[in-house]
Amino acid sequence: MAEKKRFHSIKIDKKKCIGCVTCMKACPQKAIRIGKDRKARINYRICIECAECLRVCPHNAVVPITTKTSDLDKFKYKVALPSPVLFSQFGQYIMPEEILSVLKEVGFDYVKDGTVMCEMASKVMEEYLEEHKLPAPIISSTCPVVVRLIQGLFPALCDLIIPIEAPREIAAKGLREEISRRDKIPAEDIGIFHITPCAAKMVSINYPESMEKSYLNGAISIREIYNMMMMKLKKAGLRPKLQTNIHVQDQISGIGIGWALPDGQVRSVKHHSVSVSGIHDTIKILKDVEAGKLKNIKYLECHTCPDGCVGGPLTVENRFVAKSNVLMLIRKYHDKKFVDDYTAKKLYKEGLFFFKSKVKPKPFPPLDKNRARALKKLKLKEEIIKKLPGDNCGVCGAPDCKTLADDIVRNKAKLTDCRFFKGGTCDPNQKEGKS
Amino acid sequence: MKSNIIFEQEFKVEGGDFINGGDASCQIGNILKDVGISPDIILRLTVAAYEAEMNSVIYARRGTMYFRVSTDKILLKIEDEGKGIDDIELAMKEGYSTATAEIREMGFGAGMGLPNMKRNSDIFNISSEVGKGTKVEIVVNLPEING
Repeated sequence: MAEKKRFHSIKIDKKKCIGCVTCMKACPQKAIRIGKDRKARINYRICIECAECLRVCPHNAVVPITTKTSDLDKFKYKVALPSPVLFSQFGQYIMPEEILSVLKEVGFDYVKDGTVMCEMASKVMEEYLEEHKLPAPIISSTCPVVVRLIQGLFPALCDLIIPIEAPREIAAKGLREEISRRDKIPAEDIGIFHITPCAAKMVSINYPESMEKSYLNGAISIREIYNMMMMKLKKAGLRPKLQTNIHVQDQISGIGIGWALPDGQVRSVKHHSVSVSGIHDTIKILKDVEAGKLKNIKYLECHTCPDGCVGGPLTVENRFVAKSNVLMLIRKYHDKKFVDDYTAKKLYKEGLFFFKSKVKPKPFPPLDKNRARALKKLKLKEEIIKKLPGDNCGVCGAPDCKTLADDIVRNKAKLTDCRFFKGGTCDPNQKEGKS
Repeated sequence: MKSNIIFEQEFKVEGGDFINGGDASCQIGNILKDVGISPDIILRLTVAAYEAEMNSVIYARRGTMYFRVSTDKILLKIEDEGKGIDDIELAMKEGYSTATAEIREMGFGAGMGLPNMKRNSDIFNISSEVGKGTKVEIVVNLPEING
C-alpha cells in the first residue's frame, strides 16, 4: 500500500493571523510556533487535529477544512448522515425528525438518521468487551483525535484501541449499497456526507487509520449549514413539514442520541467504564493508562472536546445548552431501543463493525533517530533549560522555555532567539562547530 | 565499541504522597520518548517504574529513584527508607501483599507490584533489610538498532 499524503483539518490564514501567541500557548501538543514573519505556523508532524487553536484564536485566523456545500454538486445524488449532535442545536422544541426534514430541504436527496447505527455500535462494543477481558482498559475509537493522540504520544497503547469502526462509516457503507441498488445509481455518483461537529472527521475520512478508504465522501460542519437550516425553520414557523422519505418517528434511538455526550457509548454497557472529555484530561488519563494505573477499568471512553461531541469546535449552540437538549431527548427516546441481544450477537459475529486493519503506532519523532545522538541532545537540552529564564514568555516564538530548548537541540531554533538569555556560553550550534 | 553516552536523573519519592506518586515514572516515560526508545520497551519500563515508585509511596518513609539510559540499556534503581521486607521470596509471589485494608481500598496492594516489576525487566535484583529499607534494581536491555 503506497503511503498516502496525510490530510490536515486545520490551517492558518496568514492574512488574518497577527502572531499574537494565543494559539501557540493553547496547543496541548506544542505544535505551533510564531515565525519571524509574526505568523503562526503548525508543525503537522505532531499536530493531532484537536482544534484547540481554532477555539481560542481571537482573529478567526485558524481555519477548519471541511466540505463546503458548494462541493456537493460534484455528486448526482447527495446524502446527509448527521451526527447526533445536530439534534441538540435547535433548542428544546424542534424534534429530530423535524431537523432531519429541514436538513433534506437544504439540498440533499436523502437524509439518514444515524442514531440506530450508534446503538448497534454500542451493542457490538459490549459484545467485544464481554469476549476480551484483557488487556485493560480498552479505549474508544470514535474520536479521530484520540486515535491520533494514541498513535503519536502513547504508541504502546495502540493495541488497546477497540477495533470497532465509527457508526458513521458503517452507516455510509450500507447506505451506498442500498441506494445504488434501489435507485439504480452508480455507487460513485452518490455523495455521502457526515454532518459534523468537528473538522477532525475530515482527517478520518481523508486519511483513515483503520481502513483503506473511507465510505464517506466528506464532512460538512454544523456551522456551515446552520444558517441555511435556521432560515428554513423560520420560514416554516418552526414547524417544518415532515419529509415523506423521513419515517423516523419511531426510528430515533435514545441510546444513539446519547453518543453526542461523553458516556454515550457506554451508558448502556454493563462493564465498568469511565468516560473522559477535554484534551488535557484525555492526555492525563492516557498517561495513567500507560503507567498501568487503570487496569481495573474495563472501558475508557475518551473525547478530546469538552463535554464530548456537543462541545465540538464547529457547533453553534452553547455546549451546556446543547448538553441539556441532548439529555432531554434521551429522556424522551430512552425506551426506543432497536437492537436486542440476539441481533447484537449476530452483528458482532458478522464482523461488519470491525476495523479492516489495526491502528498502527506512529510515534512522534524523537530528538534524533540515532540513539547515541538522541541521548547527547537530551543532555544538552537539560543544560539549555537550566540557562533559559524559565518564565515562558513566548517572545522567542516557542510556547515555553522547555520547548525552545527542544527546538534548539532539534536545530529548529537558536539560543539567541531568547531575548532574555544572558549566559551566552551554551550555544549548541557554536559548540558543534556549525560550519 | 564507541563511547557509551549516558543520561541520568534522580527523583525523590515521598512516602505517603499519593498525590504526586507516579510523577517520576511519567517523566521517565517522556524522556524515553525523546530518546526514541520503542513503544513496547517504554511501556515495560513505565509500568515497572510506576510499581516501584508506588511501593516507596505506600510502604516507605522516603525513597530515591535513580534512572539511567545508555545506548544499550536502561537502569532503574529504587532505594527506600522504610520497614523493609521480611521474606522476599514470599513477597515475590503473585497476590501476596502486606497492604492494609485502606491501601487496598485505594486500588493498591493487590500483591502484583514486585512480580510485575520482575516480569517487565531483563535483570531484576531486590535486597532488603528489615527496619531499614529496600533496594530494587531493574535493567531493561535495548536492542541494537539505528546505528
